[in-house]
Amino acid sequence: MRATSLALKDLLQIARDWKSALFLVVMPILFTFFFGLVLQPDSQAEADARLPVGIVGREAGGQLGAHLERLLAASEVIRPVPLSEAEADEAEALVDGGELAAAIAVPEGFSQAVLSGQSPRFTVIADPMTTTGQAASQGIETVISRLLGAVQTARISADEFAAAQGFETEGARQAYLMRGLDQAVAAWEEPPLTVRQEQAVVSGEPGESEVPGGFAQSSPGMIVQFAIFGLITSAMILVLERQAGALKRILTTPTSRAAVIGGHVLAMFLVVFAQVLLLVLVGQLLFGVDYMRAPLATLLMATILAFWAASLGLFIGSISKSQEQVITLSLIAMFLFAALGGAWFPLEVAGEAFATVGHIMPTAWAMDGFQNIVVRGLGLASVLLPAGILLAYGLVFFGLAVWQFGFETR
Amino acid sequence: MNDDYAIRVRNLYKTFDEVQAVRDVSLDVRPGEIFSLLGPNGAGKSTTISMLACLLEPTAGDAYVMGHSILHEQMAVKSSIGVVPQEIALYEDLSARENLSFWGKMYGLRGERLRQRIDEVLEIIGLAQRQKGPVANFSGGMKRRLNIGVALLHRPDVLILDEPTVGIDPQSRRNILDSVQEFNRQGMTVLYTTHYMEEAQEISDHIAIMDQGEIIAYGTHDELVQIVGELDRIDLTLSTPPGQEEIRAALIQTWRQLDRVHQVSTAGHETITTEAGSPAEQSPDFEAAVDHSGLTLLVGDSNLVLPDLFETAVAVGARITSVDIQEPNLEAVFLHLTGRALRD
Repeated sequence: MRATSLALKDLLQIARDWKSALFLVVMPILFTFFFGLVLQPDSQAEADARLPVGIVGREAGGQLGAHLERLLAASEVIRPVPLSEAEADEAEALVDGGELAAAIAVPEGFSQAVLSGQSPRFTVIADPMTTTGQAASQGIETVISRLLGAVQTARISADEFAAAQGFETEGARQAYLMRGLDQAVAAWEEPPLTVRQEQAVVSGEPGESEVPGGFAQSSPGMIVQFAIFGLITSAMILVLERQAGALKRILTTPTSRAAVIGGHVLAMFLVVFAQVLLLVLVGQLLFGVDYMRAPLATLLMATILAFWAASLGLFIGSISKSQEQVITLSLIAMFLFAALGGAWFPLEVAGEAFATVGHIMPTAWAMDGFQNIVVRGLGLASVLLPAGILLAYGLVFFGLAVWQFGFETR
Repeated sequence: MNDDYAIRVRNLYKTFDEVQAVRDVSLDVRPGEIFSLLGPNGAGKSTTISMLACLLEPTAGDAYVMGHSILHEQMAVKSSIGVVPQEIALYEDLSARENLSFWGKMYGLRGERLRQRIDEVLEIIGLAQRQKGPVANFSGGMKRRLNIGVALLHRPDVLILDEPTVGIDPQSRRNILDSVQEFNRQGMTVLYTTHYMEEAQEISDHIAIMDQGEIIAYGTHDELVQIVGELDRIDLTLSTPPGQEEIRAALIQTWRQLDRVHQVSTAGHETITTEAGSPAEQSPDFEAAVDHSGLTLLVGDSNLVLPDLFETAVAVGARITSVDIQEPNLEAVFLHLTGRALRD
């Protein structure tokens, strides 16, 4: 009961400070808008989200070159990127640098080889250790299989026709074969039956990249960042209370130390929780980020994020001797956790090493949880691990805060 | 077994690292009395009451408040006391009423009982008309009154005040002293710490004088004054040529050897240099400026000692320019017991 009274007192003090509303609500919305625009995917990528695959040596003059290009263009997974001769030498570097998901070298004379029943050797450049490389390789393999299948179909058809009616000339056979090939390739472009495996995504566009961008990145990012920044007011109350001697005075009343800590952390939790829920609502209604597709998962993430941030605020308030220290430590925490934890930009774009290091930060797990919901379209089960790890971080900070609270009784 | 006393302290010690802040303090405070802990800054008064308020754990010893041990029954002790800290321990962004409401809840008050007590306390401390404004806009005196009001909310058996008059104007001080006496008349036991001898003398039933962590004297005002017996206290001003400290030092040494002089102290006095004004000062010895320094002496019979003081001063080239003879008081007791002034 006393803890509740203490929390209500803290909340009253926070409410009196109108400037805190600026940090808690207005600034995160502005930053969400600004970062959302900056991180908006470019229009080409948005129009064609398929994996870019470089094509070296298209054999434009060959009989199957055009068919190969048609099948590549029709692929739902890969997007053909014709490479010039100069670029062909750098195909491997382009794949390594991430500009291409993969590259394929079409061997000289492949049309003739295929049509004569041989299996030409295609060279595929891709990183099999990455999901992107694997997906691109599979996409290439599918296209080649379709081409070979189309050739096989046309050949069988021609053989059947020859057995039934016979061709007058070899030219007539070749013409029949190529018409059959055209039809078989066209059939792949418009198949009568399609089985498509999609990964659920918020925007509903199949094959869309899992790397978050736009408001799907900036909205959860700013929620996480300003959950830390907004703690300045709460931590300040703690420092002022200690400086004024009010904390000591509370301890001369029949109020336990647990109630004092509980009251303060409850107030901080409620402030951050309300802030996060408000920003989730703004993200949903103003920026079109679909948190409500998994409301329970969103609620769980908001709750655990608020607990973690409240524990961090309590810790900062416990170790700070002055208001200036509160501001300094809060800013350090914000920059460190937000920048390295992927609140400003997706960790995926900074490379695997950075993403691994970034996941030392609790904020990276908070971002993972939110992005599992809004980017990957996953449900409650997908946020359990991030929420659990964030909770563990929260408990560590809470323990440190209690240890450092500074009751000074000994 | 300890219910006969509002507070009973037994062999209390508190050590911070290597420093012994409180040493073997024992005292008894009877219900309904005003008991003062008198001593200079750093004497151990605040540390003692911090232990009584369960803010600090004693290194050794125990104390009982309303029969409850500060070691084993802390919540019961805290329910029995109201503590007025030396600092203004309030929330300045909240109003007087909001402050009282919060602190009342911390003392376990709720609902109508809380509202009633807030109204009563606002009347007692004279802030009923200013209850809604933020405390930050209050004068120092108003804050002090509210600081005291907080400790009255739950009608404590024992009111503990830690130097409540430090740094405030005489009118507010008068107001606080009158209030403390009024609370006491209503049956509240008061433990009051101060380094102002006049305050302890005016309001206390019993006084314990503390110095360097120990109680060096304990009793009623009259009992304490008896310690210095028939001694007179003389405050005098000595004028010497500027910068000649050795004259003053030699004179003090001479006076200490006089039969009827018990103590000579320079503590609490400053040396002030002024332009020579009186004809007496305008001599070849004094030139254009004069150092005035105050001294306090405890002497057996001031009428017999004073001629010796004047004679010896002239002999070393100094002059006594003012003399004030006072009846023995607590200041004299402290000087007698420690050789230092209370205001140090």
